[in-house]
Amino acid sequence: MLADAIRAEAYRFSLNRLQVFVSVVLTPLLFAVGGVFFHIISKSRGDEAADEAGLAIPASTDPVNLAEAISFAAAGSANGVILICMLIGAATLYAGDYRWESWRLISARNDRVSLILAKLGVVKLLAIAVSLLFLVASFIFGIAQSVIYERGLGFSMDGAEAGQAALTWLLSYVRIVQFTMIALLAAVMTRSLLAALFVPWALGFVQGILGTAMPLLGWEPQMWLPQLLLPGLAYDTLKAAVTGALEAPLTDATVWRSLTGLALWTVLPLVAALAWFRRQDLSKE
Amino acid sequence: MNAVIEPPVIEALGLTKTYGTVRALDGLDLSIPRGGVYGVLGPNGAGKSTLFRILLGLIRPTEGSAAVMGGPVGQVASMRRMGSMIETPRFPPYMTARQVLRWLALEHGVGAEVDIPAWLERVGLTEAADRKVKGFSVGMLQRLGVAAALMSKPELVILDEPTSGMDPPGIQEMRALIRSLADQDGVTVILASHQLQEVQRICDRVAILHKGRLVREGAVSELTATGERLRLSVTSPDQVLAILGARGARDGAAILADVPRAEGPALIRALVEAGIGIDEARWVGDDLESVFFTETGSTRAPETPHAG
Repeated sequence: MLADAIRAEAYRFSLNRLQVFVSVVLTPLLFAVGGVFFHIISKSRGDEAADEAGLAIPASTDPVNLAEAISFAAAGSANGVILICMLIGAATLYAGDYRWESWRLISARNDRVSLILAKLGVVKLLAIAVSLLFLVASFIFGIAQSVIYERGLGFSMDGAEAGQAALTWLLSYVRIVQFTMIALLAAVMTRSLLAALFVPWALGFVQGILGTAMPLLGWEPQMWLPQLLLPGLAYDTLKAAVTGALEAPLTDATVWRSLTGLALWTVLPLVAALAWFRRQDLSKE
Repeated sequence: MNAVIEPPVIEALGLTKTYGTVRALDGLDLSIPRGGVYGVLGPNGAGKSTLFRILLGLIRPTEGSAAVMGGPVGQVASMRRMGSMIETPRFPPYMTARQVLRWLALEHGVGAEVDIPAWLERVGLTEAADRKVKGFSVGMLQRLGVAAALMSKPELVILDEPTSGMDPPGIQEMRALIRSLADQDGVTVILASHQLQEVQRICDRVAILHKGRLVREGAVSELTATGERLRLSVTSPDQVLAILGARGARDGAAILADVPRAEGPALIRALVEAGIGIDEARWVGDDLESVFFTETGSTRAPETPHAG
């Protein structure tokens, strides 16, 4: 029954081409096209500057390492633009049956938990799709760099780097799913597409401000409160722990706090949405 | 050999649903047998839609219980043996009629088994199959909703106002489709409609609800077999009512006289002798409309005299 519901949701979403484009394709496409232009303009500016100075600046001849594209994509596939675009797709999925009054068409022949989990399943598929496309866009970025700067292409990645990239990718994936969970809860509680779009966005905005104002509030990243209140901080902390990007080594306690924060923001909205939805009057839409 | 007693397709026991202080259903007991077309009638607010919504698991009863196809409401195995269309259905506007049926077939777990072109043809939507539903009329949405309700070959179908918004040919086709479902495919059809003549024409049994309670239930033929009365179109109805006393009642511009057939000629003679002009006198049995108005305490709208 869950499999039926996932197939149906995926089929329906695939027909909404604008949503598919905005939530999955747009950001990687912009990144790929923007990356090519960035290299073209950088090279052109660099050449002009060298001509004006009458200098022959030696260009790097090292091959472009495409493995870096994997690490970059893994770490960057939960960036702000992707989160907002994914939110648009997720909100449409979660609130669509309220908006189109279609719950009564489907809810009588399936159990309610499966119907919600099917929507979540499609969002997870979209999160995987967007991160794969972002990986492709990162490859295009690297290949364009190689072509425009007339450098070779190479691929060098050891086991540790591969493991690091895989873990970072997993964290980014969880961050995307976690961010859209608020859309699920907002959609179920308000029956509104607008609420499903703006509640997570507004919450993310407030959390962003709180994250910036942490020193003013006397919060340290290793404290429980910010790690529990700010899933973005928890994600950044865990990502830094994986990549070793922090100057000071992270304590195990901080990592656990971050994991707890991210897990709570992922699981609690789902549990609340399911509990609410199971008792909801679906004749009012 | 023991006779096999088929369990009812719907069994409601003490079903109550309250919205604040309003009791939409008030301890409703109803058992709907398998087979045929079953009409659920009642004025607005009688509880028909609330009953259907409970049976489909869209809302929960405040008290009481209901079973569908032998299983409690919400048990997916039982619910999957049922199809439904409640009110005018709405679909995602970016989908075509064909895509809507494909999507719902997947959702209902019968994706590969459904012959979508055949269903589109059966409800008269073949030409509109690849048009987006956002441009559909109410009647077309109804047809698509009916196809969606039927395509998974359910044993029980619940249809709420299935002909609403349809043109006369569409209504006729829908009636024929509903009858053929019951007669040829062995599907039990439960429908609600305000079109009492339509219900009388296609239903085998009816339940009349009023203020959330069941006030009458039975075979249409039984309900309409009683209550033969003399219908008089006269020049002075008030005078006739005064003569008849408690045995007379208005029926639009006419008078219904509750007298035995044997007394009819004497009554007509008495009226003529009293100087009352009689345009028409005929014996009428109860139609479903009469039963409905009697049971729900509603009154018919007076007949509008023809102009000119």
